[in-house]
Amino acid sequence: MAEMWINMGPQHPMTHGLWNLRVKVDGETIVDAQPEVGYLHRGIEKLCEGKTYPQIIPLADRLCYGSSLTWSHLYCMAVEDLMNVEVPERAEYIRVLTIEMQRIVSHLMWLAAYAGDLGLGVGFVYTMREREVFLDLFQALTGARITYNFPRIGGVAHDLPPNFERDTLRAISYFEGRLKEYEDLFEGSKIFMMRNVGVGILKKEDAINMGVTGPTLRASGVSYDLRKDRPYSVYEEMNFNVVTHKDCDCYARYRVRMDEMWESCQIMKQALKKMPKGKVRIVSPRNAPVGTGLARVEDPRGEGMMYIVGDGTDKPYRVKIRSPIFVTVSAAPKILIGYKVADVVAIMGGLDMCIGETDR
Amino acid sequence: MPQAKKRSSLGLVLQPMKRTGKTVANSLILGKPNTVLYPYQKLELPIGYRGKHIVDFKRCIGCSNCVQICPNDCMWMEKLEDPELGKIERPGVDYGRCLFCGLCVEICPTVAIHESVEFELAHHERSKLKYGPKELRDDSFAGKVKEERQKRLLPILDMTKCTSCEKCAGECPEMAIAMMPIEGVGKTKPEINLGKCTSCKKCETVCPESALEMEEVYESYFEMPEPKFLIKKCTGCGACARACPADVIYMMDLPGTEKVLKDGKKGKPKKRAVFVLEKCVGCGKCYRACKFDALEWPGVRK
Amino acid sequence: MNLFEFCYGIIHWLVDLINHLWYWLGDVLPWWFGDFFDAVGNFAASQGHMAVMTIFLEVVIVVVIALINVLNFIWIFRKFMGRMFDFYGPYYVGYRIGGWLQNLADGIKLFVKEIIVPAKADKMGYLLAPIIYIGSSILILATIPFSENFGVATNESGSYVPAGALFALAAFAIAPFSILLAGWASNNKYTLIGGMRSAAQMMSYEIPLLMTVASVFLLAGSYGFVDIVDAQHDIWFAFPLFIGFLIFLVCLAAEVEIIPFDLPEAEAELVEGWTTEYGGMRFGLFYFTTTIRSYAGGALATALFLGGWHGPALIPDEIWFLIKAYIVYTIFQWMTWSLPRVRVDQMLGIGWKRLLPLAVINLMIAVALKSMGWF
Repeated sequence: MAEMWINMGPQHPMTHGLWNLRVKVDGETIVDAQPEVGYLHRGIEKLCEGKTYPQIIPLADRLCYGSSLTWSHLYCMAVEDLMNVEVPERAEYIRVLTIEMQRIVSHLMWLAAYAGDLGLGVGFVYTMREREVFLDLFQALTGARITYNFPRIGGVAHDLPPNFERDTLRAISYFEGRLKEYEDLFEGSKIFMMRNVGVGILKKEDAINMGVTGPTLRASGVSYDLRKDRPYSVYEEMNFNVVTHKDCDCYARYRVRMDEMWESCQIMKQALKKMPKGKVRIVSPRNAPVGTGLARVEDPRGEGMMYIVGDGTDKPYRVKIRSPIFVTVSAAPKILIGYKVADVVAIMGGLDMCIGETDR
Repeated sequence: MPQAKKRSSLGLVLQPMKRTGKTVANSLILGKPNTVLYPYQKLELPIGYRGKHIVDFKRCIGCSNCVQICPNDCMWMEKLEDPELGKIERPGVDYGRCLFCGLCVEICPTVAIHESVEFELAHHERSKLKYGPKELRDDSFAGKVKEERQKRLLPILDMTKCTSCEKCAGECPEMAIAMMPIEGVGKTKPEINLGKCTSCKKCETVCPESALEMEEVYESYFEMPEPKFLIKKCTGCGACARACPADVIYMMDLPGTEKVLKDGKKGKPKKRAVFVLEKCVGCGKCYRACKFDALEWPGVRK
Repeated sequence: MNLFEFCYGIIHWLVDLINHLWYWLGDVLPWWFGDFFDAVGNFAASQGHMAVMTIFLEVVIVVVIALINVLNFIWIFRKFMGRMFDFYGPYYVGYRIGGWLQNLADGIKLFVKEIIVPAKADKMGYLLAPIIYIGSSILILATIPFSENFGVATNESGSYVPAGALFALAAFAIAPFSILLAGWASNNKYTLIGGMRSAAQMMSYEIPLLMTVASVFLLAGSYGFVDIVDAQHDIWFAFPLFIGFLIFLVCLAAEVEIIPFDLPEAEAELVEGWTTEYGGMRFGLFYFTTTIRSYAGGALATALFLGGWHGPALIPDEIWFLIKAYIVYTIFQWMTWSLPRVRVDQMLGIGWKRLLPLAVINLMIAVALKSMGWF
C-alpha cells in the first residue's frame, strides 16, 4: 500500500492538549514523524512584562494546568533569588508538602489519560476518583482545586487549616492501599503488558543527547533527579530514593511514575513530622533590584527552569521559561519510527505531554 | 514499594475482572457509588473556598488597592450615594474576567472584601456578570468567613489635635516615638516606628489632647510604597488631602506667608501638606491627584 | 401451539373480516366491478396468500421482540458499565424504572440531527453500506428460535429449514463486506485504516468460530437448531466441549467488536473508526446494529452450547432462552470494561497462532466423543 501522511491532531481525542503530530504511515507501520506545536501559544512571557511581581503568580499557575503548583513555586523561587529574600522554615516545609501532593495529583492525571487511551475506561475513572481525595485536601488548604495561587514571594499564602495533618495522613494511607490494588488492573492484565513491554525504546545515549529529563530519562536508566543532585528548599533533610528502571520502554516509564507516587507519599509523611512552628510568610518587597534570578525545579514532567531579569521597578523586564516537554517532544521521531499506528498512543501518552507549558 | 511481579496467562482476563467485579459489588450491595447527584444533592465546601466576593461597606475606605492588584483588570470603583455613609466609592467585580485568585482579599488594608463559598454565578448574558458594589454588599460577614490576618493594636495620630507638647516621645518605653520638625510650619510632629511598638498604650493615656488613639490594624504582607514629598513644588491646593482615603494628609498653615491685600489687611496664609505616613495604605491617589509634581511615587517605570 | 399456527389463526380471522366487507361491496356494486372484487377476495382467501401474510406477521413479531430486547441490552450495558465505573447509569429519564427511557431519548436525539454526505465520498458505497450491514444482521435472527414453538423458520412449522444454524452463521459473516465498503467510501484516511483493520479482524476470527461450530454439528448430528438443542437434553455442550465454548466466546467478541477487540473503532487513535463520517440516524443505526449482533451472538451461544431453552418448568421456555442470552451478554460487558485494547498484530497473532490450534484440538475431542458413542 502507498505511504501516506496522517494528521493526528490538532482536534483528536488522543492528544492531551492542542498539538499536531504528522506521521507517515506505510500500511500500519510508521516511517516518519513530525510534531507541530504552537497552537496554544498565549504569550505568557510577554504578559509577565506588564504585571507586578505578585500579579504574575496566578499567571504562572496557568502555565501547566496539570501541575500548577510546581510552576508558581518555581516563579517564587526565581524572584526570591532575584530579590535576596529568605523564606521562613515552616514555609519551606509546607511548600515541600504541597509540591509532593501536586506530584501525586499530576501523575494520577497522567495515569487516567494513559489508561483511557489504551481502551481501559475503568482505569480512567478509578484514578480520577483517587485524585479527588487530594483535590479536596487542596481545596481545604488553598481554596481552589486546580490553579491554587498558593506560594507567595517570601513564603506561602497562609498556614495549614485545623485538622489538616490528620486528614492528610488518612488520605495517604487510603491512597497507598489503592496503589496496591492498581496492580490487578494494570500489571495483572496481560493485554496491558503486551501493549507496553518492548514498545517505544529510547536508548540511554539518545535520551541524554536530546536533553530529555524527568521520568522519561530515569526510565532509560540514568539516575538524575534535581531533588537529589541539586537540592533546593528542604529536600536535603528528606529521606527518599530516586527511582530508575533499566528497560527503556513504555512499561519502564509507567513503572517509574507509579513508584514515584509511592516515594512522594513517604516524603509527605516525613514533612508532616518534621515541620517546625513559626511564621509562614514575610513582607515581600515591592521593587526588585537590577539583576537576574534563576531557579530550577523537578517538575513531574522533567526539569523546569525560570530566569527573571529585574530592572529596579516593580515589574520584571524579562521572564524566560524553560519547559521540559518542549524538549521531549522533539525526541518523538526517534522513538516512534518502526512501530505501529496503535503504538503512537502508548508512546506519546507515556511521555506525559502537557501542552500548556510547551507553548507558553 | 510495591514490586512488579510476572503474571501468568490467567491475567489475560481474570485478574482485572476481579477488580471491577469488586467495585460493582461494593456499589450495589455495600453502599452507594461515588457520585453526587448534583442539582439535587450539593457538596459542602470548606470555609476557605474562593467564590463570589462580599464587601463590607462600613470597613471599606475606598482606597482602590484591590482594583490595582487585580491581575486581570476585573474590578472597578463606583461612586455611590449611601444614606448613612454619604458619598463613597466602592468596588465592583466583573465575573466574566475574574480568576478568583484572592489577591484583592490579601491586600485590603481593612479586611473589607472577602470571598464566600458561593460559586453558582453562570448567566446567559455577559453583561449580567458584572456585579456592582450594591450586589456585593454584606455588612455583617464577620462570622461567616475565615479571618486569617493578624491584628495589632497600634497608636494612630490625628494631626489636627496635636500641639507638639512632646509628652508621648518621653513616655514611650521602647523609644519608638521621635519628634520631627515640620518644615516651614514651625511645629514638630511625632513619628512612630511601628515595628518597635508593643501596644502598651502609655502614649494614649499621656497625651493631653487625645491625639493618639489605639486602633486595631491588620498586618499586610505586601510592601506598600509610600509617597515622597517635595516641599518646593507644593502650592497648598489641598487636592491630595481630599483624595486620600485614609486620613494621612493634613493641610497646615505656613506662618509668615500671608499676602498683604490692597487695603492693608492680611490675607490667608499659604498651606502645605503634612503626611502622617504610618497610616498610609499605598493606594497612590495622592500621587495621581497632585498636578504640580510635588509627590514622587517609587519604582514607577516611565 | 406453534408460532406459525398462532399467526395463521390471526391472519385467517383478519382475512375473514375483510372479506365479509369486500364480498358485500362486490354484491352492491354493478356487475363489472363485482367480478373484480370477487376475484380479489378469492385470491386473498387462498392458501398461498395467507401463508405469505403469516410469515410477514411472524417476521414483524420477531423483529419487534428483537428491538425490545436490544433496548433492554443497551440499558443493561449502560447501567452495568456505570456501576463498574462507580457511578449511576442513566438515572433521571424514566426515574422510577431505573432510567430505561434514556434509550428512547437518545434515539429521538439522533433523529433530529442533520444527516450529511461528504462531498467527495463515493455516494453509492456510502449509502449502501448501512443497508447491507443492518439487513444482514437482522437476517441472522430469522432462523434462531426461542423455543420449539417460537421461531420464524424452524423445523416443525410450515416452512422447513434443515440448515438453520448454517444460515445464521452465513448471515453473520456478510458484515465485514459492508464495513470495508463504509471505510473506503467515506474518503477519509482514518476510516480507511479502520475498515482494513475490521476486515482483517473478522476474517481471521471466522475460522476458529466455524471450526468450533463444526464440532457442535458433529456431536448433534444435524444442522438445524431444534435438533441441536434436543441433543443437549442430558448435558449441555459447554461441559464436554469446554475449550470450544471459550474459543466461541472469544471469537464472538471479535466479531461483534467489543473492547478487547475494538480496533476498527478505537476511539483514541482513529476518532470513531469506520463510522466517523456518518451522522444522525445513520450512525444510530450502526450503533443499534452492533447491539443486534451481540444479541444474535448471545442467542447463538445459548442455542449451541448452553442448552437453548432447557430448564426447570417453572418459567416458560422462551424466557429461559432470553435469560441465558442475557447472562452471556453480561459476561461480555464485564470483560469489555476490564481490559484494554489489543494491537493489530497482536490480535492477528491471537487469532491465527493461539485459537486455531485450540479449535483443532476441540474438533479432535468432539470426534473422540462421537466415536465413543456417547452422543
